Amino acid sequence: MKRKIAVYPLIFALLFAFLMLPACSSGDNKNQNPNQSNTSPESSSGDNQTNETENFDPLGKYDEPVTVTQVLSFRPPEEADALPGVKPETSGFVKDLKEMLNIDLKYLWSVPQDQFDQKFSLSIASGDLPDVMQVDLVTFEKFREQGILADLSDAYENYASPALRKIIEKDDRFALNSLTFDGKLLGVTGSGTGGTQIVWIRKDWLDNLKLQPPATLEEFEKVAEAFVNDDPNLNGADDTYGVILNKNLLGWGFDAKGLFYSHGSYPNAWLKSSDGSLVSGNIQPETKTALSTLRSWYEKGILDKEFMLADEDKISEDIVVGKVGISFGEWWYPNWPLNLSKDNDPKAEWIPLQLPSFEGKPGKTLNQRSINSILVVNKEAKHPEAAIKMANYFLEMTKPKYTDKESPDYKGASNGYVYQWFTPRFYYPGVFDLIMETVSAAVEAGQEKLDLPEDFPSAGEAQAVFANAKKFQADPADNSAWGMWFSRGARDGGVGFSKKVVDDGMVVWDEYYGPPTPTMIERRSSLDKMRDETFMKIIVGSAPVSDFDKYVTDWKKLGGDDITAEVNKWYAENANK
Amino acid sequence: MNQTTASTRKMPLALPRNRRRWKKELPLHLMLIPGVIVTLIYAYGPMFGIVMAFQKFQPALGFLKSKWIGLKNFEYVFNLPDFNQVLWNTTFISVMKIVFGLAVPLMMALLLNEVAKNWFKRMIQTSIFLPFFLSWAVLGGIMIELFSLKGPVNALLSIFGVDPIMFMASNHWFVTIIIASDVWKGMGYNMIIFLAAIVSINANLYEAAEVDGAGRWKQMVHITLPGMASIIILICTLSLGGVLNAGFDQILILYNPIVYEKADVIDTFVYRLGLFDQQYAPAAAIGLFKSAISVVLVSLSYYLAYRFSNYRIF
Amino acid sequence: MHFYKQSAGRQLFNVINLSFLTIVTFMCVVPFIHLLAVSLSSNAAASAGSVKLWPIGFTLEAYGFLGQKPEFLRSLGVTLQRVVLGTTINMLLVFITAYPLSKTYEQFRYRVYYVWFFAITMFFGGGLIPTYIVVKETGLMNSIWALIIPGALSVWNAVLMLNFFRGIPRDMEEAALIDGAGHWSILWKVYLPVSLPSIATIGLFTLVGHWNSWFDGILYMNSPDHYPLQTYLSTLVTSINIKMITVEDLSTLQNLSERTLRTAQIFLGALPIMLVYPFLQQYFVKGMTVGSVKE
Repeated sequence: MKRKIAVYPLIFALLFAFLMLPACSSGDNKNQNPNQSNTSPESSSGDNQTNETENFDPLGKYDEPVTVTQVLSFRPPEEADALPGVKPETSGFVKDLKEMLNIDLKYLWSVPQDQFDQKFSLSIASGDLPDVMQVDLVTFEKFREQGILADLSDAYENYASPALRKIIEKDDRFALNSLTFDGKLLGVTGSGTGGTQIVWIRKDWLDNLKLQPPATLEEFEKVAEAFVNDDPNLNGADDTYGVILNKNLLGWGFDAKGLFYSHGSYPNAWLKSSDGSLVSGNIQPETKTALSTLRSWYEKGILDKEFMLADEDKISEDIVVGKVGISFGEWWYPNWPLNLSKDNDPKAEWIPLQLPSFEGKPGKTLNQRSINSILVVNKEAKHPEAAIKMANYFLEMTKPKYTDKESPDYKGASNGYVYQWFTPRFYYPGVFDLIMETVSAAVEAGQEKLDLPEDFPSAGEAQAVFANAKKFQADPADNSAWGMWFSRGARDGGVGFSKKVVDDGMVVWDEYYGPPTPTMIERRSSLDKMRDETFMKIIVGSAPVSDFDKYVTDWKKLGGDDITAEVNKWYAENANK
Repeated sequence: MNQTTASTRKMPLALPRNRRRWKKELPLHLMLIPGVIVTLIYAYGPMFGIVMAFQKFQPALGFLKSKWIGLKNFEYVFNLPDFNQVLWNTTFISVMKIVFGLAVPLMMALLLNEVAKNWFKRMIQTSIFLPFFLSWAVLGGIMIELFSLKGPVNALLSIFGVDPIMFMASNHWFVTIIIASDVWKGMGYNMIIFLAAIVSINANLYEAAEVDGAGRWKQMVHITLPGMASIIILICTLSLGGVLNAGFDQILILYNPIVYEKADVIDTFVYRLGLFDQQYAPAAAIGLFKSAISVVLVSLSYYLAYRFSNYRIF
Repeated sequence: MHFYKQSAGRQLFNVINLSFLTIVTFMCVVPFIHLLAVSLSSNAAASAGSVKLWPIGFTLEAYGFLGQKPEFLRSLGVTLQRVVLGTTINMLLVFITAYPLSKTYEQFRYRVYYVWFFAITMFFGGGLIPTYIVVKETGLMNSIWALIIPGALSVWNAVLMLNFFRGIPRDMEEAALIDGAGHWSILWKVYLPVSLPSIATIGLFTLVGHWNSWFDGILYMNSPDHYPLQTYLSTLVTSINIKMITVEDLSTLQNLSERTLRTAQIFLGALPIMLVYPFLQQYFVKGMTVGSVKE
């Protein structure tokens, strides 16, 4: 009896102690951090600051070593000739950073890209926020809410190099303004645009059937039906279908976005209505029309009967194996999987087309403005300006003289400079177009070597595209070189054709580019589920088209109206920022 | 109370006996020390995180500074438009998986036990365990092909004059396939436990039965099954702990919008919640809800097993 | 056993039983044959999805690629270390934990409290973040012990083991007690030899668990240098979010088509276990049964 009593409190005391232990110690950590950063900056950075207020050198070397902590989203080097055994800590960029700027870069941890988000949140929750990070808009918004970001106004204004400014302010400070709150610049980045949808079609199949590339939706449907019924691959077997789709109607490839856009329907986007307010593309009447088109296509066999089972990765097999000749999509298809399609069938020839017109109106693609890769600095970091200097430094290191393989100053993977490990990295917003123009011009002029101006952004990528262009010229059967050249280099290829679509003004803009609103966070998964279920059932014919109207009512009731109100509130505040 | 007075009266005798007993049990306590320490630190330690279910948890603020919001996370989850449907799907799929996930391996173990040739036994055992190593990410593609309109299953059915069926896009068939394939994938695991239980049965019992002229069937019913009873009850009870786990990976890979109404389960639902914003707190609330349900069920079956067959599962 | 005449019914049963089991075996092996064929095929054929059960365009490239990487051998080393240390520690703990818990109330008065103390952890957990914090605060981060110690005692396995222990006839134990043996020597000299089938069973689960788990490597290791094999392999097969494609992703897209590589990794992942498994099996099939010890 006596012992029984004695054991119990012991167990509970132990239990309690262990329960409290981690909680307490993590609390201690949080209290310690501010102390550390309160005392040390005064002692160490005090004199530095006075030195530097005189000359704000974007690439000035610190007198005393400055330690900057980061976390790393790790990817093995892509280059086949990468220096064996090179690690993030021993990368040439890290060594040079120490030499040029006297900055000691320390990685708290590194983790493969896939798991980065998870590890990052864990690390934050356990009180390990690094000094310098590059984050997406959603994370930025959360950090801002939690008040843990440093004000970068002075750091940016004083230290940003001309090269960095050229990139960041290409959008006339649009992104910078969006990231400024109460006069404090909490993040640095520029904004980009993209998302242009085009059609990829088998030119050799068109030729086999003596058909012209379709321009209107009716022609498009005729071609697709011919691809189903008229044996486009001339093998005598009924083994082809018309248009590829996968179980994500609004996914990242081989999906129905382009078809919706053709109908003037823009699901997932926020569009300006006639009264100037924003409305959701999910519930517009055009979307209903697009769904009935898809429904009739499914019935006619233009779509694969089982398209809704496979995801993007799985369905790409149909392109590779030559089962299908039309896909809506983006500029990068030649890179993958069209190159594999050519591997399998050397006769395969793919060309891009503009979205088909519908009822006399041209098919306009949607484009999105995006604010991403935002450079932020932990409030407790001692040297916020070091982040800006590091951004300057990376741009300096990617100048043509360092990226040309023949140059004596070459800094690339082969001698231990692995660019993808280094952050912050910024890219010139129009860089795809610029590379395409530059490389095309050089190829057309028959140049043997690509000469780039001193301030050319992303010179390394341009050189790679050019090298692939040369490789393709030398060996037209090199499909992987073709993929690189035809997606990124050729004027009539992926990037080139998409640019033309945008230049021709065949674009509708998604007017909302803010972070998810509170109701979006709460309701979007339910609303999306409802949308996907309704759309898919209408297409395969297990629900009538009229179900769309019920969906619209439910959508509004279950949070859609609230989201619309929030989006419009944001629009009123930010449209002219 | 009576006992206490009794023992005080017999003090001179009782104390040494108690002490002797304590001394006798001491090694048992010692044996448990390492396990207790590890469990205390790494299983009980993290339980402070349960508070997350009652907070608007923000990683950067941590557990101490995140805002307390009471039961709001629970309200949010339970009020989501299709939560009831999802809860029902989850329960149905997981209960079916538990039932067949036990019955099939049990049957396989008994059948295997009837095989006389050792090499054959071994070969079967090894192969049945193989699917356990495959992830659903890998099996997904294989299954879609297997059950496609032109796939082997439909080809087989057409021999019997059955029209092709779109199994994976049919609300009628999808759940059956989910359950069957899960049973197939996991059957090696429970089968091994059952086989080990069969092997542990006293061989003398079989010899005695044979002398009495009992056939294989009678031996199975009267010796093998009763001999395995405790393990069967145990596995049943422990499986109940997973009653709200319908199999996240599998369903996520295989489902599609057409079969949402039958196949969307709690875990896929939570996954989609988190896609837009890492909503740890609602996920924690659902986790706590699941734990509570499984504790109730397991305790109940623990009690029933004890009450009716006087058997303590653990 | 029955060399002599079997009844017709018995023979019929045997035929049906064997055919049924053969079909099941076939169903379980075919996916593996398919994957093996894919991993040995050319990338073009694999990406087209045209490989069935025989390689098309036979090549060992995928295996060569994995084998030549120094990271591959290093992570294999980590895994071997983990499997040996982890399985030993796990089994030891399961063994010494299950023994006291398998006693009756008369033999061990406090058993029920211990049992519930352990059982609760099967149902309640703190979740990812708090567990991570505890592992970090106990200083295990970035060491192999982070992969071993937090899960050193599998309660599920201990419960399984204690139920096997209960099947051991009491008279064996009592005989030993009368000979003056203590709990420790009963554990090693009586329980251990007769529990080999259950130890083999649970040991196999533990081994497989350590071999296959990859996510804890991601969580607790701060650099890929310390990754175990499965964690390393999982990094080779990253799913790429094409929507976020940037100018620098010049060859990421190419990696997407590395189907053969993906399948090769599944193979290498399962291979060692497939090799160990038949060896462990002799304990299930023949087994040193309780009965045979008694004889």
